[in-house]
Amino acid sequence: MSKTRLLALVLIMILICGLLGACGTAGEKEPADTPAETPSTEEPAGEEKQAAEEPEPDIDISEFVEISNYVLGDPPANDMVDKMLEQLNPILKEKINAHMRVEWIEWADYLTKYNLLLASGQEIDMIHASSTWLDFWPNVQKGSFLALDDLIPKYAPKTWAEIPQEDWEQCKYQGKIYCFPENSYTQYVNHGIFYRGDWLKEFGMEPVKNFEEMGEYFKKVKEVYGPQGVIPFDAHNGMSLWEGYIISNTDYVDVRVNTGRHKVLWGKSFEEPFELVAPVFEDLFVEYAKMMKDWDEAGVWRKDVLNFEGDTRANLRAGQSASDQHHSNTYRYLRVEMDELIPGSDLQMFAWCDTRGNLVAEPITHGATAIGRTSKHPERTVMLYELFRQDEEIYRLINYGIEGVSYVINEEGKLDRPEGFDSARDGFSINWWGGRVDKFELRQAWEWEPIWDIWAEYDKIVKKPFPYGRFVLDRTPIEAELSAISEVTNQYGPMIDFGKVDDPEKEVEDYRNKLKAAGFDKVMHEIGNQLAAYKEQIGEWPPASN
Amino acid sequence: MRAATSTSVPVRKNTSYVSLFRKDFSKNWMLFLMCVPAILFFLLFSYIPMPGVYLAFVRYNYADGIFKSPFIGLENFRFLWLSGDLWRITRNTLLYNIAFILLGNTVQITVAVLMNELRSQWFRKTSQTLMFLPFFISYVLVGLFVYNFLSFEYGTLNSILRSLGREPVETYSNPAIWKYVIVLTHIWKNTGYGSIVYFAAIMGLDPEMYEAAEIDGASAWQRIRYITLPCLRPTFVILLLFALGGILKGNFDLFYNLVGSNTRLYPTTDIIETFVFRSMIVSFNFSSAAAVGFYQSIFGFLLVMTVNWIVRKIEPDYALF
Repeated sequence: MSKTRLLALVLIMILICGLLGACGTAGEKEPADTPAETPSTEEPAGEEKQAAEEPEPDIDISEFVEISNYVLGDPPANDMVDKMLEQLNPILKEKINAHMRVEWIEWADYLTKYNLLLASGQEIDMIHASSTWLDFWPNVQKGSFLALDDLIPKYAPKTWAEIPQEDWEQCKYQGKIYCFPENSYTQYVNHGIFYRGDWLKEFGMEPVKNFEEMGEYFKKVKEVYGPQGVIPFDAHNGMSLWEGYIISNTDYVDVRVNTGRHKVLWGKSFEEPFELVAPVFEDLFVEYAKMMKDWDEAGVWRKDVLNFEGDTRANLRAGQSASDQHHSNTYRYLRVEMDELIPGSDLQMFAWCDTRGNLVAEPITHGATAIGRTSKHPERTVMLYELFRQDEEIYRLINYGIEGVSYVINEEGKLDRPEGFDSARDGFSINWWGGRVDKFELRQAWEWEPIWDIWAEYDKIVKKPFPYGRFVLDRTPIEAELSAISEVTNQYGPMIDFGKVDDPEKEVEDYRNKLKAAGFDKVMHEIGNQLAAYKEQIGEWPPASN
Repeated sequence: MRAATSTSVPVRKNTSYVSLFRKDFSKNWMLFLMCVPAILFFLLFSYIPMPGVYLAFVRYNYADGIFKSPFIGLENFRFLWLSGDLWRITRNTLLYNIAFILLGNTVQITVAVLMNELRSQWFRKTSQTLMFLPFFISYVLVGLFVYNFLSFEYGTLNSILRSLGREPVETYSNPAIWKYVIVLTHIWKNTGYGSIVYFAAIMGLDPEMYEAAEIDGASAWQRIRYITLPCLRPTFVILLLFALGGILKGNFDLFYNLVGSNTRLYPTTDIIETFVFRSMIVSFNFSSAAAVGFYQSIFGFLLVMTVNWIVRKIEPDYALF
């Protein structure tokens, strides 16, 4: 009796162990079974041979598929995106036998969520990418995205032809294309501080052109409106003016090597971008630290700014903050919004480049679209992108929503609000920032018209192209140092940025020593070498055409 | 358990472990069966994931996975001492836990003894309940309480200071006071729970001892000093050993919710746990986060071994193993 029971027990144990074992091995094997590279390189390569034989390659779209499209942002409260999809999907069904599904990566902690999503191995077809704010190159190096070289010419021929070769070059890592760049869309995303123009006039001050004047304005706001609870510049922990201070006071160019909160390495100038400088080791940084301490003592931001993570722009809208920090494309819409919310507020922008014209073009991969390595339908996804970019009807659907509900085109040919438009109910936004093109873009009646004058001015001074467009840092020799440096800048940065130090000079000294100890010299040397090699690779600089 | 193993020692001389186990098993198979869920739990969540530690020794990329990514030895650990934080987080973790355990237990024992001396049932029950309440509040809310108490503009503390005509203090940029804030918060939150355990232990003591002491003319203080406290020693040692497990887990909730990403306070508030979290979430580097996690495990292992060794020296009966 007890023997049979024992036997049963043993069998159960064996079964359980077997199950566990199976789970274990399955888990291990998975990454090896579905390597991103093999199908993408082998399969289309075979098809390309075919393509060489027949002029019109047969594209097989017999199987119906659903394509996921990951965009950044909070899902809209209204159902306009769903309504748009109801119109878009039948067209897609007809053209490429596919439907599109939109997935949102919400703003709170977006970078973590984004990276985690890519790390999770979840099936991703189309996903927004950016080399400036979404870790594009590190993710390419980690193998998050699919190489597209073999897919684009066949499945997106128009886009392939439309984007010039030198622009494709900027999407390459180790000779392979990893994204579609937003290469022909005009926008400026140069940062600066927005401030209340009405108060500026009231104080009898001239438009702000540098940090000293900015400080005077802040202090005046504190003096006049402070007693009513207005914060001159309501900032949160994540903000840093250091980059702005560099751009405003020097000709340095951001190399865009991520070293945490402060970017410690910059190019000497647009003309000599391969010569590295380290502004944190210059007197400039001490001046900055002193100025921020002065601002902190004057009450420019809230005293516990280091623990504040609230929505500062909401406070600007409510008239509780006199300024906010962001880029000129935000200003383009915020200005109109502020005119409605606080009539006469006359929101102004002090852009960093206003001081001495230090404005360098953004990389064309600032906005981009990539395809996940886990995608099961990369061909169809590329075809979808082609439609977004080449079919005007679809372009309007994905960018503007449903005509007559979310927008109308007025007699001037501009986008406008329909009669009885209610933005909460009818407003459309899908944050599609990875494939806009000027040829289909419409001027918007709800944007702040003079922005185009400002941008025309920028067009005159902007230096292009972005010097490091094709530079992808090989982090492997200095991985540990970069992590350590990031840790240091993340730690010391906030205190210096918000003047929360007893003695700025001493704190800056500590900061520098910590950076040195973290291997700063090695990093500078290594990146300098890689830039020198890059300089050889691209040849003449600056390009003669400029 | 201890008794069972000590009786089995002589048997070992003439039988092998296997036959011993077989005998044991056929006799107590029901007990073994009852252990299965626990064994499975640890197998699934502790032992099977263990090979993942290997992540700390590779340059991880998603396409190759953990075991196929290139092996780079101790490279990932280099950033630990490069950033110069290793000593700081280790020191903070150790000191905070010593403070939590020693101060926490002292306060808990004191409260339990005082409770025992209280004669008013009603007062005792009420104060017990009130002290127990914080235990159920989530640390997220506790973080909010602390912020509302200490924040510069609207905090309770500064409101009081202002109304007294004193200068308000900038607590959130003053690392020195946070040692006290954190230890106090921890004590505030855990005293109720801990004191009930001690109180229960006191309740279990033989009342005859107290009666005898009273007849012999012992004062209240003497009764506490010579009867209650010595009798609480086993409870204290067991709770101490439990608390050691807690060191491994850290007090991430407490530190993260109170301090958040306020780097100004890190010199006194950064512990290994928060550091692991940061290296994962901020720099998103799996391998270096795994390296820090590995360091934490080694550190925790050594810590438990050391304390267990000390306990064994002092009170061999109470040592874990």
